[in-house]
Amino acid sequence: MSRKSVLAVEDGITMRLFYRDVLEKAGFVVEEAANGVEGLERALMTRFDLMVVDINMPKMNGYEMVRQVRGNPTLRSIPVLTISTEEKDDDVVKAYEAGANFYLVKPVRPDELTAVVRLLTGSIS
Amino acid sequence: MTNALLARFIPEARDLLQSSASGLLRLEKNPTDATAINEVFRAVHTLKGSSGLFDAMALTRLVHAAEDLLGEVRSAKRELDSDLVDMLLDSLDQVSAWIDDLERHERLPADADRVCKDVVTRLRAHCTQTEAAASDTGPVAGGAPAADLGWIADLPECDRIAVFGRACRGHPVVAARYRPVASCFYSGEDPFNLVLQVPELGALRVAPPAPWPHIGDLDPYQCNLEFFLLSNGARVEIEHLFRYVSEQVEIEQIQADALIRITGDHHAAPVHEDFADEARALVAAQDWAALRDATAALLRLTNPDLRNAAALRWLAAVLDAPFPNPAWASALIEVIAAGGVPALGAPPSEPLRPVLTTVAAGADPIREADPSNACSDDSLQRRIIAAQRQILAAASDADRVRRHAPAVVQILAGLARVEGDDRRAADVAAAGEVAETDGTTSMLLALVDRWLATDTVVDDLSDEAPSRVQPDSADAARATETGVPTKPDSAREERSAAARMLKVDQAKIDLLMNLIGELVVSKNSLPFLARRAEQVHGSREMAREIKDQYAVIDRLTQEMQGAIMQVRMLPVSEVFDRFPRLVRDLARKLSKKIELVIEGEDTAADKTIIEALGDPLLHIVRNALDHGIEPPADRAQAGKPDHATLLMKAFQEADQVVIEVTDDGRGIDPDKVRAAAIAKGVVSAAEAAQLSDQAATELIFRPGFSTAAQVSDLSGRGVGLDVALTTVEKLGGRVGVTSRRGMGTTVRIGLPLSMAVTRVMVVGVADELYGIPMDVIAETVRVPRRRVKMIKQSPAFVLRNTVVPLLRLSRALGCAERVADDDVDEAVLVCRIGGNPIGLVVDSFREGMDVILKPFEGVLAGMPGFAGTALLGDGHVLLVLDLKELL
Repeated sequence: MSRKSVLAVEDGITMRLFYRDVLEKAGFVVEEAANGVEGLERALMTRFDLMVVDINMPKMNGYEMVRQVRGNPTLRSIPVLTISTEEKDDDVVKAYEAGANFYLVKPVRPDELTAVVRLLTGSIS
Repeated sequence: MTNALLARFIPEARDLLQSSASGLLRLEKNPTDATAINEVFRAVHTLKGSSGLFDAMALTRLVHAAEDLLGEVRSAKRELDSDLVDMLLDSLDQVSAWIDDLERHERLPADADRVCKDVVTRLRAHCTQTEAAASDTGPVAGGAPAADLGWIADLPECDRIAVFGRACRGHPVVAARYRPVASCFYSGEDPFNLVLQVPELGALRVAPPAPWPHIGDLDPYQCNLEFFLLSNGARVEIEHLFRYVSEQVEIEQIQADALIRITGDHHAAPVHEDFADEARALVAAQDWAALRDATAALLRLTNPDLRNAAALRWLAAVLDAPFPNPAWASALIEVIAAGGVPALGAPPSEPLRPVLTTVAAGADPIREADPSNACSDDSLQRRIIAAQRQILAAASDADRVRRHAPAVVQILAGLARVEGDDRRAADVAAAGEVAETDGTTSMLLALVDRWLATDTVVDDLSDEAPSRVQPDSADAARATETGVPTKPDSAREERSAAARMLKVDQAKIDLLMNLIGELVVSKNSLPFLARRAEQVHGSREMAREIKDQYAVIDRLTQEMQGAIMQVRMLPVSEVFDRFPRLVRDLARKLSKKIELVIEGEDTAADKTIIEALGDPLLHIVRNALDHGIEPPADRAQAGKPDHATLLMKAFQEADQVVIEVTDDGRGIDPDKVRAAAIAKGVVSAAEAAQLSDQAATELIFRPGFSTAAQVSDLSGRGVGLDVALTTVEKLGGRVGVTSRRGMGTTVRIGLPLSMAVTRVMVVGVADELYGIPMDVIAETVRVPRRRVKMIKQSPAFVLRNTVVPLLRLSRALGCAERVADDDVDEAVLVCRIGGNPIGLVVDSFREGMDVILKPFEGVLAGMPGFAGTALLGDGHVLLVLDLKELL
């Protein structure tokens, strides 16, 4: 079975390295983007099995990016996992409204991230 | 976490700190600058997010406090004034210092918690929201705790009283119960150590949850411990500490009165009706001092083991508070009066609500998932399915269904396939197709509901399966994915190209630079080879071919060298960026009004040059602020605007980077400089009188010079401009100053663009070749011997009306001198050293060339008089002289 690919969209380079570290160890192909605009570009060029999207980002925030993913016929079937430092119900609801499929709160444990990403991509652990 | 992660975090954190500081300064100038506040907020926010990956709780906490404050500024709940900016900048400085500590020791200093607390308290004082309101979602409001906190009574009374005392002085009280799983040692956890890290741990009890087995059966690798603790720290902090074991811990912020549990022997309790009467009256009169005395007196008479004594001790603790709570005091008095019966605090009722710190989800079914399995895939899968159900249920119109259903279908089908349930996967895909075409979710919802209801049991759906399921419909969900990815337009490509930057270790670039240097040198051997081919082997054709190849390699290496040097180029903004803050702080300290204007910060120069520029510029700017720019009153008298302008300007001029620092202050008075220089013994009175005004002005660069009448805190300690001058000269640059009285001063620094290549002049002395750096050479002249005069027993000659002393380089180097031949002119290299011309007599001039200068290493390191060596094309080593040291 070919390896599943994940696009990590996040403005913090440390967090991006964290995603890459954890997910590559779990057998995923990981690509990175630093904001929503870049994320959409990457997504349009390569077919991903999942996008991990931060909420608070420059240029285009996570909500807007997810909204655009859902509005785009070629992208809309890609599951989106949003990750944010905000734990307020409003933020969670907003992410789901925009079209996210799941929501995690930072700091995320490596095992938790791996488990969620596996389930969302339908990968066998 | 891994070191690689930390190594990535440190430069990121520095970048973020820098951009928040510069954003804050812009914001201070223009408080309505929405871009600036967003930028600062996002930088701090990202910093908070990333720092959570490391064991740097104090840092995260501090940044969090700053973020909250900035959040209020952003939502216009609070105005940003200079004091606030000061405080925020100070906090960022603290964070910056901690980042340095993290880099060096991979942990924060021991006093970090204390420092953090101070700073956070100050920041919070400005925050209108309290920490509890801002970050606690727990059921704190309403007074009574909702959880079973009966175990609090088992904690030592004296510890509880101590925690209570701090609570009465405004600290929070957090009760936590941590039961590590038996196998925790295998997952690398250290429960005891974790508990010891709880901030402001006030009380701790460790107990075995199961009775200890017989020693023979005891498995020491199984953890059989449960921790009960009280802390006066912030709940968020404690939650953060336990974030990796969140499902094993119950954390609750409680009210202070929940700590009051009266324990002790309640038999034979004396009834102190008389004390109670008096005490009630004192409470009514709020005469706390008298009540304290009465309580202490009775306490001395009471057997400490009795319940009454415990109640009295609690009463004393309540009265000890700065503002005793009359309700608590009255309740305790009634307990004492009754001989010790009902305890205060909420009756034990519901179990402690588990704190879900890591996985938050939007829907109630998700929150209600069994927390003890929070991390097991099984319950996680249920939560994910439940979330998908919510998304489907929330899709109110057909358009939303079409947008949101495909991803949901993708996830559900994937989960079904992982379970090995291809049938369900097919059903999901088919239902997804219906959702896409009809814009309805009922079929999908029904499927998901059945899935959630049956959990792991695969139920028989044959009756209900939609009739139009096709054999290949499992892939139907992918039908929408077959669209050809659209090609990004060129504007997008440009943007993403700009964003795709590489961060490379400087050592790697330096290595490349060294290698290309070697390549340049070995390339130089080709012309020699060509000559040999022709002269020794007599093959002219071969010689020409080698020369042709040489031309190609030469061009390529030059391009390559240029490209690599380009990589090392940094914009001047790297150094300029720290000045807005510095100028602002100094201006505030000096009570001067100064506007800093920066121009040409994009001008680039070699990294070594840029990095070394910081200190000289610092001295020059400080000097301008301290001495150049007048106080507002003086400026008003001189008819100048009260805002002084300091201009820092960078630009490229030929192969130099020029940086000018210009102020519109009082200018330099050459007479004052002369007087000061004489007074300080820098020059004699006679010398000073001879100096032109320009030369006198330049005396400010002499060591030990300071014109300030009083030495200030900022500059003028005698190590200012001379340091700037030496540093710049060491880099091969020059410093100049021009000043007009009453109008201002300009200090100009000229620096080479790159230090990688040194241009030298090759000269022959006593049959050897030496290199002399071009930047000290003024000109080369041939002097007829008869024009060499003896002045004060030293040879010299007159060059355009200036007396230039002559020195034989062979003598300075200690080589044999050539016998003088009167007919031959002397080859004289006129050099400028320390501002004075000197003529160096050499045997012959050779060509000028670019070389890669290598300093001496090993035993030769630090040999005086030599700057280093360079390799010549024919393989010979050229010694490059350092004339300043040699002469």
